[in-house]
Amino acid sequence: MTFSLKRALAIFHKDYKDLSKNMYVSFTAVIPLFMALLYGSQGELTIEMQYIVINMTLSLVAAFIQCSLIAEEKEKNTLRGLMLSPASTVEILAGKGMLTFLTTIFIIVISCFLIDYKPESLAVIAVAIALSTVFYIGLGTFLGLITRSVMEASVVIMPFFFLFTFGSYGAMLAERFPIFKAAEYMPNTQLVELAGAVQLGAGFADIWSHLFVIIIWIAAVFVLAYRIFKKRMMD
Amino acid sequence: MEKIIEVKSLAKLFGNQRALEDVSFEVSKGEVFGFLGPSGSGKTTTIKILTAQLTQTDGDALVFGHPAAQLKHPMNRKKIGILTDNSGLYERLSIFDNLKLYCGLYDVSLSRIEEVLEMVNLKAESKKIVSKLSKGMLQRVTLARAFLHKPELLFLDEPTSSLDPVNSRHIYRGLQELKDNGTTIFLTTHDMNEAELLCDRVAFLHNGTIQLIGPPKELRKRYADNTLTVELTDGTTEVIAKGEAGAEKLYRFMSENKVVSVNTNEPTLGDIFVEITGRKLS
Repeated sequence: MTFSLKRALAIFHKDYKDLSKNMYVSFTAVIPLFMALLYGSQGELTIEMQYIVINMTLSLVAAFIQCSLIAEEKEKNTLRGLMLSPASTVEILAGKGMLTFLTTIFIIVISCFLIDYKPESLAVIAVAIALSTVFYIGLGTFLGLITRSVMEASVVIMPFFFLFTFGSYGAMLAERFPIFKAAEYMPNTQLVELAGAVQLGAGFADIWSHLFVIIIWIAAVFVLAYRIFKKRMMD
Repeated sequence: MEKIIEVKSLAKLFGNQRALEDVSFEVSKGEVFGFLGPSGSGKTTTIKILTAQLTQTDGDALVFGHPAAQLKHPMNRKKIGILTDNSGLYERLSIFDNLKLYCGLYDVSLSRIEEVLEMVNLKAESKKIVSKLSKGMLQRVTLARAFLHKPELLFLDEPTSSLDPVNSRHIYRGLQELKDNGTTIFLTTHDMNEAELLCDRVAFLHNGTIQLIGPPKELRKRYADNTLTVELTDGTTEVIAKGEAGAEKLYRFMSENKVVSVNTNEPTLGDIFVEITGRKLS
């Protein structure tokens, strides 16, 4: 498998110029900042409440924007142009994910200031949030590839937005309703649990199982996205 | 002569519907090969198989001596350029920025953008946003994009369908230039004048099968009806058959100084298509 950073960067530069002129996407990216402002003004927040803002940024910026970008490429038939170029599947997916990744991290950093979130171990949280961002980008890519238009994508993503923003509360009901036990293994729940442990002084050695679960989610969603992408290359 | 495309007994089924059946042809290096046929005859399906966007149901499709499916490899993608009927452009970006992306993807110098825009008569418009362009201008930008990286093989699906004669001439000049530089061109078109002007050989496709194949001049000769039209000084025209009787008649007109012009009655490619398929091309 070949990987050309030059080709991936060409797609990244194009997306950067295109995104700056895309009002729909720019507006969506700002919503988590309003939420952070609102939550931040409520005084001291629990780690669960702080992570509602962070998980919302992940699902709204990383997943939703990525989903819209891919769906628009399909709708306007520009994805076909990329597929017929020398860019490989990995280069296209990396190029298309780079801007979403940087935008998500930027908004999460600002949100953390607004909600006054100070992790006890910045390194652990940085790795966990970076991995989570990659997962949500994969989810957005997969959903963007299975939808036909931006409009359809914005409907399809909604259940995932609620599931991955508020789904971690489902884990609290696991004792009464065993089906909610599955929520414990969702990437957003893993992130909240990991962050809670970090605030109690946990390091990498203590939270590796949470990172491992997130990595399994990443692998699963990218295998799906890769397979769908390969299918879309053929009419 | 090196074969760039070799298609043998190609067939494609969509469900129960047969789109291509027993299609065979070859395209040599540097040749402009015209694929002519009405909508739905299988032209675009053939291009999609040859560019690895579709897989055939049966038969062989070789490009540069390898199965067309291998064109997915980045090195092979660099050898081909494609203009299809639905080549998307980024609407919020300028013409220049659209082509800049492809310079990055094909590892081409940015100075090439000016050259290709000159070829399609859009040099002065490079900063224009794509959403503000007319249909004809969009077509010219997608064409510029198709030959931005100087491909060895160019697939053009109806390249001048939205263009006026002036801009079509720009494209013909550009294609002639590419041909002179050794580019092989696989062209589908409805325009018979375009086919006559550009193509070294043409194939008529109808209902998924090739009906006729050969150089345009040869086909016109083959289907000529062996008559001459003579325009006379009194404003009338006479159609005379070639042969002894016709020669005597023509001699008589000429000796009486009645002849204004003499024309052979060769059919156009469009006439030939109607004759062999019973339907018009467009």
